[in-house]
Amino acid sequence: MVRPSSAARLRRRARLREVWSEFASQRSGLVGLVLLLVIVVLALLAPLLVPIERLDVTRVTAPSNAAPSGGHWLGTDPQGRDVLAVLLWGSRASLLVGFAATAVSMVLGTVVGMAAGHFRGLWQGVILRFVDFFLVVPSLMLAIVLSSVLSRGLGTIILAIGVTSWAQTARIVRAQTLTIESRPYIERSIALGAGDVHVLGRHVLPSVMPLVLANTTLAVGSAIIAESTLSFLGLGDPTTFSWGSMLKSALDTGAATAGYWWYVLPPGLAIVVVVLCFTLVGRALESVLNPTLRSR
Amino acid sequence: MSESTHDGPALAWRDVTITYATGVVAVDGVDLVVPRGATIGVAGESGSGKSTLVMAALRLLPRDARLEGTVELDGEDVGAMTFGRLRAVRWTSAAIVFQGAMHSLNPVRTVERQVAEALELHRDEQYPDAAARRARVLELLGLVDLPASTAGAYPHELSGGQKQRVMIALALACDPDVIIADEPTTALDVVVQAQVLRVLSGLVADRGLTLVMISHDLAVLAAVCERIVVMRDGRVVEEGLSREVLTDPQHEHTRELAAAFPVIGDESARYTVGHDRERILPTTAPALAPAERDDPGRDTADSARDRHTQGVGGAVLAVRDLVVDFRSRGRAVRAVDHVSLECAPGEIVALVGQSGSGKTTLARSILGLQRPTSGEVLFEGEPMPRDRAGLRAYRRRIQFVLQDPSASLNPKHTVYEAVAEGLRIHRLEREGVDEAARVAQALEQAELTPTERYATSLPSQLSGGQRQRVVIAGALALEPSYLVADEPVASLDASVRGEILALLLRLRRDLGLGALVITHDLGLAWNVADRVLVMHQGRIVEDGPVEEVLLDPQHDYTRSLLEVVPSRLGSHA
Repeated sequence: MVRPSSAARLRRRARLREVWSEFASQRSGLVGLVLLLVIVVLALLAPLLVPIERLDVTRVTAPSNAAPSGGHWLGTDPQGRDVLAVLLWGSRASLLVGFAATAVSMVLGTVVGMAAGHFRGLWQGVILRFVDFFLVVPSLMLAIVLSSVLSRGLGTIILAIGVTSWAQTARIVRAQTLTIESRPYIERSIALGAGDVHVLGRHVLPSVMPLVLANTTLAVGSAIIAESTLSFLGLGDPTTFSWGSMLKSALDTGAATAGYWWYVLPPGLAIVVVVLCFTLVGRALESVLNPTLRSR
Repeated sequence: MSESTHDGPALAWRDVTITYATGVVAVDGVDLVVPRGATIGVAGESGSGKSTLVMAALRLLPRDARLEGTVELDGEDVGAMTFGRLRAVRWTSAAIVFQGAMHSLNPVRTVERQVAEALELHRDEQYPDAAARRARVLELLGLVDLPASTAGAYPHELSGGQKQRVMIALALACDPDVIIADEPTTALDVVVQAQVLRVLSGLVADRGLTLVMISHDLAVLAAVCERIVVMRDGRVVEEGLSREVLTDPQHEHTRELAAAFPVIGDESARYTVGHDRERILPTTAPALAPAERDDPGRDTADSARDRHTQGVGGAVLAVRDLVVDFRSRGRAVRAVDHVSLECAPGEIVALVGQSGSGKTTLARSILGLQRPTSGEVLFEGEPMPRDRAGLRAYRRRIQFVLQDPSASLNPKHTVYEAVAEGLRIHRLEREGVDEAARVAQALEQAELTPTERYATSLPSQLSGGQRQRVVIAGALALEPSYLVADEPVASLDASVRGEILALLLRLRRDLGLGALVITHDLGLAWNVADRVLVMHQGRIVEDGPVEEVLLDPQHDYTRSLLEVVPSRLGSHA
C-alpha cells in the first residue's frame, strides 16, 4: 500500500481553496487584504523608490516645513526631508515590529497556553499565576520599563511588545486546549502510549492553530500601535524612521500648533489604515475558521 | 376525556411520504392505523424514519420536511388544521414523552412550574388558580410514583429515571387520549428502564390510553406494546403481534434487530452474532495462537514473553485488591472497592454492571489511565509500571477500545493516520516495522477491505460501525496481547452491534486475542463472553462462567439484573 500522504496533501489543498473562497466572499476582509498587500509591497520597495541618501539631513536642499507641492507631495519636515519618503521608510519599521512582535507573542502565548491547558496540578497552578501576572501588569508600563532598561534598538522594541502581549493569547489557547483534551480521542491516544509531546503536537496544536492564526492578524494591529506609542514616547531607536518617531518629532517641533498638518496627519492616518486593514482581515479570517461567529 | 366524539382510529397515517429538502426520503409510503386504546411499538435503527413518522402526527417536523398523504388524529386531518386548532390539539389529544429527558426539561425551573405550564396553557378553566394547579401537579406526580417533594426540585436534582417519569407526568397533564413516547428509556440503564416501563405500561392499562412508542429495542417494545411495526429506510417491513415479531421474525431486518437482544439461555445465541449467524467458537488452545502467527514484525522477546506467561499459570491480566477513591466536593467516593480478578490469555471476560458501578474506573485503572489508591495490576505476571517509559511500553501490550467511535477518532486524521498513530508513538519503524504494511494488515484484520479505499477516508465519511473497526485496527496495529473494550457496541445500531461482536470473536479465534468487555448489557455477555464478572457499587459480587452466572445466579444483585433484562420483561407482560 502506498503511503497516503499525497492524498493528505490534496485534501489540505482543497481545504485551503475552501477557506479562500469563504474569505473572498467577505468584501471588507478582501478590501483589507488588498490594501495590506499594497502597503507591504510599497514598504519592501522603499529603498528602490526613495534612496536612503535623500533622507540624509546633510544633503537635503528643500526648505524646512514646506507645504505640499508638486515636488514634495506631502511637503517637507522640519529638517527639510520629504514627508512621503519618511512615511515610506517609516512603514518598514512599523510593519517589521508589528509582525515580529506578534510572532514572539503568538509563539509564547501558544506554548504557555497549551502547557497551562495540558498539565495538571502544581505545574498548572504555577503557569496560570505566571499568565495572570502578565495579564494584570499594565503592558505599556512594562514595555516602557523593558525598553528603557535594555539597549535601544528595534530588537528591544520587538521583545518589549512581544513579551507583554502574549497573555491574552495564552488564555484563549488554554481554553481551546481544555476543550480538545476532554475529547475521547485524546484518551485513546494516551491509551496507545502517547506522551505529552505527541498529544500536544499531533492533536492539540493542529486544533488551536486556526484560532491562533485569526488572533495573530488581530494582534499585529495592536503591536503596530504599541510600537508607535513607544517611539512617540521617545523609547524607540533614534536611528530608524517609524511612524511613531515621526509623530514624536512633529510634537517636539510644534508642527501641529504651527499648522504644519502635512507632518502630523500622514503618520497618524497611516497607523489607522494599517491597523484597520489587519482588523478587517483578522475578523474575516476568524469567521471563516470559526463558523459559529458567522451571521452575527 | 377528549371533546371528540369520533369513534374511528385514534391515529392514522394514510400513504404518508415525508421528504427533506436535502432529498432524503425519510418516510416512504407508510400506511398505519392505530385503533383507540391500542399500544403500538415502532422499531427501527437510526435513520429508519421512525421518529419522523411519529412526529408528523403533531406536525412537529422541521421546516424543510415535505409531507405527502394524510395524517389523521381523531379522524381530523392534521395537515389541514389551523395553527390555533393545532395548538389546542397538541398536548390535549396527543402528548409526547420526548427522548432524552436530560435535555427536554428546563434546567432553571422547578418540576412543578414545568408541569403547571401545560395546565396554564390548555386547562385554565379547569384549574383556574395556583392551588388547583398545584393539587393537579401532585396528583400527576403520584401517578408516576414520584413523591410530592419532587415538585419543588430542579431537574439537576433528579436522577435520569426520575426525570423520565417527570416527562411522563408532563405528557399526562392534560389527559390526552394518545401518548407518543420517543425512545423513552434509551439513555437509562436496565434497572431504571424497567421502572420507567412499569410505570408507563401501568398507566396505559389503567387509563385505556392509546400508546405509540418508538424504540430500537424490540424487547422493550414487546414489554409494553401489543403490536410492533418494524421500519427500515422509511418503509414498514414487518408488522404483527409483539410476541410473534419477537419470537418468530419474518423479515431479515427484524431478525437482525432481535438478534441484538438475545434471549439469555438460548444456546443458539452463544458465539453466533452478526448477519451471517456464523458460529465462531474459540480455538481449543487460544494461548498458543499468538506464537503460531506468521508475523515477521514480532521479535523473539515477545515470543519468549508468551512462553513465560504460559509458564506462570495462564493469567495474562490480574488485578489484586484494587481500590480507587475519588474526591468530589470534599467527600471521598470509593469507585472501586477491593477488586481482584484474573483474565486468561484468549479469554473474553464480560464485566457487567449498572452505570455508576465503577466498571469504567476499573478499566481505566487497568490501562494505567487512573492511578489506583491501593492494590496492584499485574500484566503477564509483572506489576504495571508506574514510570513514564514503563507505562508507555505497557500500553503497547494492552489496548483500549472506547465506547463512542465517533468521538474517539480525531476528525482531522485519516484512517491511515489513526491506525498508524500507535506505531508512530512507539517509533516501531526504528525496530524495522514497515508502517504501511502493518497498517494494511491491521485494517485487514479489522475487516476494512479493500484497505486502500479506507486508508484515505476521514472518520466523518465512515459509518459508526466502520469507525469502531478503525479504532480496533488502531489497537491491533500494535499487536497487543489483550484488549480492554469499554461498551464497544453501546452507541452502535443493532445490526452493526452484531458485526463488531463477531469481529471480536474472530480476532480471538484467529489471533488468540482476549478481551475484557465492559458492558451494561447481559445479552452481550451471553453472546460472546466466556466468563462474567458482575460489579455492584465498586465490588465484584459474582464471578464465573457465563452459563453458571446467567442461568444460575447466586447473588441477589445478579438476579435483580437478570429480572430487568428486556427480554425477561417481555415474558412477564
